[in-house]
Amino acid sequence: MTDTTELITIPGNWNFDYTYFAGEAASRFFAALKDSQQIMGARCPSCQRVLVPARSFCDACFKRTADWVPVGPEGTLETFTIITAAFPGLPKPPIVMAYVTLDGADTALVNMVNGLDLSDIGAAAAQLQRQPRVRAKFIDEPQGRITDLSFVLI
Amino acid sequence: MKSRMAVVGVGQTSYKRAHTELSSADMIWEAAEKALDDAGMDISAVDAIVMGVAPDALAGENGVEKTAIFGAGKPYVRVNTGGVTGSSAAFAGASYVGSGRAKVSLVISLERMGQATTSQQVFNTIFDPVYEKDFPLTTITMAALRASMLMRVYGYSERDWAEIASRNYRNALKNPLAHIHKDLSPEDILASPLLAWPIHRFEACPMSEGACALVIAGESSVGDRVPAWLQGMASTSDAYAMGDRFHRPEGTLVDLLSLRRSAERAYADAGITDARKDIDVVELYSPFSSAEAMAYPALGFCAPEHGPRFVQEQFTDLSLPSFNPSGGPQAANPVSATAMVRIAEAALQVRGMAGERQVPGVRRAVATGQGGATQFSTVCVLGIERPD
Amino acid sequence: MPIYIEGVALEISFADARRNLSELIFDTVRASVDDSGREMDEIDSVVLAAHDLVDGRSLSSMVTAPAAGAYLRDEIRFSDDGAAAFAAAMTRLEAGDNRRSIVAAWGRSSEHDPDAFSRALFDPYMTRPLGLDEFVLSAMRAQLLLSSDGGVREAHERAVTRRRDAAGRNPRALKAGGFTSAPHFPLDTGDMPLWADITVSMVLSTEPTAIRVTGMGQSSEPYLFGDRPLRSIRSLSQAADRALAEAGTPGTAMDVAEVDGLTLIDEALGLEAVGLAPAGEGMLGLADDPRANPSGGGASGYSRPAMGLLRIAEAILQLRGQAGPVQLDGVRTALASGSSTVAGQTQTVIVLEAA
Repeated sequence: MTDTTELITIPGNWNFDYTYFAGEAASRFFAALKDSQQIMGARCPSCQRVLVPARSFCDACFKRTADWVPVGPEGTLETFTIITAAFPGLPKPPIVMAYVTLDGADTALVNMVNGLDLSDIGAAAAQLQRQPRVRAKFIDEPQGRITDLSFVLI
Repeated sequence: MKSRMAVVGVGQTSYKRAHTELSSADMIWEAAEKALDDAGMDISAVDAIVMGVAPDALAGENGVEKTAIFGAGKPYVRVNTGGVTGSSAAFAGASYVGSGRAKVSLVISLERMGQATTSQQVFNTIFDPVYEKDFPLTTITMAALRASMLMRVYGYSERDWAEIASRNYRNALKNPLAHIHKDLSPEDILASPLLAWPIHRFEACPMSEGACALVIAGESSVGDRVPAWLQGMASTSDAYAMGDRFHRPEGTLVDLLSLRRSAERAYADAGITDARKDIDVVELYSPFSSAEAMAYPALGFCAPEHGPRFVQEQFTDLSLPSFNPSGGPQAANPVSATAMVRIAEAALQVRGMAGERQVPGVRRAVATGQGGATQFSTVCVLGIERPD
Repeated sequence: MPIYIEGVALEISFADARRNLSELIFDTVRASVDDSGREMDEIDSVVLAAHDLVDGRSLSSMVTAPAAGAYLRDEIRFSDDGAAAFAAAMTRLEAGDNRRSIVAAWGRSSEHDPDAFSRALFDPYMTRPLGLDEFVLSAMRAQLLLSSDGGVREAHERAVTRRRDAAGRNPRALKAGGFTSAPHFPLDTGDMPLWADITVSMVLSTEPTAIRVTGMGQSSEPYLFGDRPLRSIRSLSQAADRALAEAGTPGTAMDVAEVDGLTLIDEALGLEAVGLAPAGEGMLGLADDPRANPSGGGASGYSRPAMGLLRIAEAILQLRGQAGPVQLDGVRTALASGSSTVAGQTQTVIVLEAA
């Protein structure tokens, strides 16, 4: 072997296909979005928190949840970021993403915030830092996916 | 009850974008061989091997950890806990020693992400395919969500993030193993492109390849080797959904609850009562400089509302611990290994073997690990004194 | 410090669209905690075996660990076989790091492609370009075994039948759904694992119960199959030797052995490796020895990386007298094994006894 051994690289791709079962709880949550434009939470009978999205068990108490209750459509924006760099496979920037605690919920939900003037990022950030009130806005033809809704400032 | 053990060997490859001249097996070998040489031991002295490799997709090889099980015939297990893989693997190796089933454990972690051409997309697959994959939830935007909340709640500024990052880069200049050797000022960092407000590109960690290994010996196997005694080790896992962490009484999104809980337990075992005084060096795992600030209150260095002040104090108060003398993840982030590298660097500091980056008079060092969206946190305390 | 089993639960299903992966895991872990009679407050450790490429996302334990009870607990996830996680949980309790631990493992064949998973285990340079999967290696072992000896071939047919019957009688086995990969010659459908959705969970502690772990052993072999002995599973022999030495009993003294193997051929070789059958007579053992895999082994349902923990669970049910129609009489000692990728490169053996 000489010092000038050519270093070989082999191209490859890593492509795995999956079928994710969303389960009854998530399916019911999505059906409520699609059929009645309602965002559902589930209450843990132990800690009494209303968990959003509604889910079948509370991981803190390790117990099954009980009642389902609608939350929102208004809520408070907890925190946000403004995405300015493009990433492959994701929507074109600038995009605002935020966590919102809908009225009646004990957990926050992540989604996009639309309708903001993003020509001055600093000014938009200052506005969002004030934890504004927002409302969930649905697309005209909900599909039963989390992207059926987004948030707008009230 | 709890048996005494020490790190007696450290081995690391250098960290860089891609080790094009090394196979995965080569990298594992190099780190392990260096650690065993440092410990003055042969593989025959090792009773258990714990291997840490995080997402397989980053290497593009399923079971890349299986390629170099040398010394065939040893118990061998693989850990994958994302960003804390390196420390989880070290703790698992320590458990084998603590149980008495091993006198000596060899723990290794490997990051092969130089083989991935689309690593950010891999990172994006850590999120929930049902509720979250349609959003630009990435490790960067997750950190940005926290950073903006830290600014609102505790009054941090973008300048604070930049100063932390600058300090890390500066320290890395003395670490020949680090990936990034650039003396970047806070101004340079603030001038770098904004990725997701308020995070700038130079506040994010590089994507590095490398391997790290530790030899952990039970008390009776330390002999006249130079030990860094493991005085405390703790790991805590939090809820997955960031949205679940806003309103709970245990702690909010930016309280870094899992790190706080781990620190409490590890400090109690180590006999640390005043973090500012009892700790000399902190090798802190934060994937972003803003995340580092979130760790300070959790580690007991300051009250949460005094965080911004603590950022400044670090530069003026020499009695405080030194942070990331290695440069930290800012300067090298071989994801699977990063948390083990923190322990390795802390061990080198305690043993007085950190070369140009050695901090004088280190009696005790703390190494932290972070995985998921600050979901998993580990704290490891090492010191020159053997625990009672 | 001995380790005891406080609770156990398992479920073998397929494509249950009512539950997502987390819900499937929650159900089984919750059931094991209920079975233990303990409260979640008493549990301070969660040790998991799961694989990102099976679960379909990187760092899959972010989402699944909380479903397994990890909230604010000391949790660790091994991308390794479930029996290896069991062994790791033992060390944590023995070291005094934790008091009581959940150990859980899962794999959902209805969500991922197990053949693609297997192919990706092969290195991109020497073996993946050949399109190898682990069944190829099993088939090569089968070729050696079955071509040499007519007696082995005859025993093999009986072993296939016996295994299928046991799976039919095991109430926990998969009854509908599932699928098998296309067998490579000379493997036949009857040798193949039944891909299914598996969740297993147990609760371990140092407080005495009726079921005690008496031995644990682990070992490993080289990566390249050509570097390993073909006719025997060396890592499993070594692991079994270690576990049985600790337990102070020989493999032949076991009242039941639940031995993991990707195919029936691997199960047969496994019986030899753990000492339940003499060298060369593993297939005979699988055909005639009622102690060998009464659960039906891989024919009852299979998914990496859960199998070692499933084998341990079936052994525990035998010791408790809760195995139902496949229950053996007078079971006091049991051995269970779990094998990892690649083609059983690392092995864990657990020996248990009933008080």
